[in-house]
Amino acid sequence: MWMYEKRLQFPVKITKTCPRTAQLIISQYGGPDGELSASMRYLAQRYTMPLKEVGGLLTDIGTEELAHMEMICAMVYQLTKNLTVEQAKAAGFDAYYIDHTTGLWPQAASAMPFTAKEFQSKGDAITDLTENLAAEQKARTVYDNLLRMIPDPEIREPLKFLRAREIVHFQRFGEALEKTKEKLNEKNYYYFNPEFDKEMLKREPLPMETAGIR
Amino acid sequence: MQSTTEHLAIASVPVQQFGDLYDEDSALKNGTVFRQLDLPFFAAESVPAPERGAQDMLRDPARQDQENDLLKIQKVSFVLDDLRLFLDTHPKDREALEMMKNVSICRKKLLKEYAARYYPLTADCMAELFEHEQGEACFCWQKGPAPWEGVCV
Repeated sequence: MWMYEKRLQFPVKITKTCPRTAQLIISQYGGPDGELSASMRYLAQRYTMPLKEVGGLLTDIGTEELAHMEMICAMVYQLTKNLTVEQAKAAGFDAYYIDHTTGLWPQAASAMPFTAKEFQSKGDAITDLTENLAAEQKARTVYDNLLRMIPDPEIREPLKFLRAREIVHFQRFGEALEKTKEKLNEKNYYYFNPEFDKEMLKREPLPMETAGIR
Repeated sequence: MQSTTEHLAIASVPVQQFGDLYDEDSALKNGTVFRQLDLPFFAAESVPAPERGAQDMLRDPARQDQENDLLKIQKVSFVLDDLRLFLDTHPKDREALEMMKNVSICRKKLLKEYAARYYPLTADCMAELFEHEQGEACFCWQKGPAPWEGVCV
């Protein structure tokens, strides 16, 4: 269950119309390393995680990514709110305008539509957590690239915030991977799939199993 | 958590220790409450942050009060967001837990004040309003600007 809180995670207050910038930033909505992709990836992977607390972390980061998607959408919306047809033409935003007017639609900067092909839910905790480490780095690179191209401070502040979050999430996924490794065979982390071969996971012995042992 | 860096063919990330924190103003600005995780990009440092002052002067002072109060909630809530993720991977860290306790109480208070003064941000805030003003039968969930509106131009 999700509840809505009527605010953005970080303020977005853009005063100038700039469809060209909107066209770039929209990549973090529906692009290959975008926030929608991130959210769907983590919220899909969490069900079968062998460690309950890693499933919990995926829920919390997946939820935060939804809030990031809302920030990105707010940026695209504000950048195109008072758009004229002339501005759309001059900025190369005319193709998007034909398909969606100024409505929000998840696509990449290259106009490629959002697709689940961009992320995995592989059913193996090591594989998925390694994918997530890479995903956070890919998103960071997108924010680096956006920050190189966009000079307006009103737009840069939220982008800098979102970039910083990628680094924090990377750290947390790294820690989740360390926790998962503790439950595996340390001689060979690939001896079994912790998400499928559940009976082979190291676990705390139940009280009844240790009752007779001194 | 033991260090597993001696293992080949698997990624290892050192586990963070709690401490060296930003205050809530700097935390929101830098995108983390943890100074150690604040690793900026060189090309992001060349342009100064926006000057809010001049632009805000021209605007409605009542709206400005409301935005400042909302910003307080954003700051406190963000500290909580970052702490929650830390505690997800460090559930036994007493210091972090103690901080979460204090910040949570502060957030609850700010949300309540904001709802009473402007409009409720959550369904629970709305329930509180109903409790305190039982005579009122107003549906206030749609009150206030949409979060994505930003600056009213």
